[in-house]
Amino acid sequence: MSTKQGFDLSVEAKLENLHEVRDYVDRAGASFGVDSAVLADLRLAVDEAVSNVILHGYDGRAGQVELHMERDDDAIIIRIRDQAESFDASHVNAPQLDTSLAERPFGGMGLFLIRKLTDEAEFLSLPGGRNELKLVKRRAIL
Amino acid sequence: MGTLNIMVGQEQGTVPVTVLRVEGDIDAATHSILEEKGSEVIAAGASNILLDLSGVHYMGSAGFRAIHAITNMLDDSESAGMSKSKHLKLFNPSDEVSRVIKTLGFDSFLEIHRDRDEAVNSF
Repeated sequence: MSTKQGFDLSVEAKLENLHEVRDYVDRAGASFGVDSAVLADLRLAVDEAVSNVILHGYDGRAGQVELHMERDDDAIIIRIRDQAESFDASHVNAPQLDTSLAERPFGGMGLFLIRKLTDEAEFLSLPGGRNELKLVKRRAIL
Repeated sequence: MGTLNIMVGQEQGTVPVTVLRVEGDIDAATHSILEEKGSEVIAAGASNILLDLSGVHYMGSAGFRAIHAITNMLDDSESAGMSKSKHLKLFNPSDEVSRVIKTLGFDSFLEIHRDRDEAVNSF
């Protein structure tokens, strides 16, 4: 059965709103009956994505971050949209996880987690200078 | 908004151990509080830190960045290379936080303890 139902959230691009974003993922995920371990993964992936938009996209400028979360059969699809500077994920190096902390460069962990914890993470450019990160998690609902 | 509280305690094991008990969510909004507290206690003379994560409900990559920074502030040549840090150890992270610790490979470089006395005496 395909059930299409969505939950939306729009927040100002401020770090203090990350808590609200995580609460939104929890509430929407619980409504869809998402498995608790999967929900933890989605909460983390979305938090990392929105953090990146605020810190690296808007970079201190005012703006909005819009989220839409829907269910498609047993998958959860989350769209995160903004009007910040576009983000070229191909230029971000993966963290060196087998390198000691003393020798490991900072950075890259957020994008690594987003990719690791979802089945699809696609960066899209929308008309009007908008960006979208589409996250897909399959087998999210048992 | 999420808040982060850090309580500083001192314990005496084989050597003096500074315990940072963290309560709240560690995210991009709050990670600097942890990093600054770590810097503060190290500047005050702490050389062994047990990071008590019992009260941490959520930790994203920013939290790991803070732990990474504190580890680098503490560690000397004896902890270099591929061995685990001798000066910063973790206590009682939640299952959720533990999974992220493993995903990011931090468990290869930081000890994780579940018994408080054992943790303090491990330094």
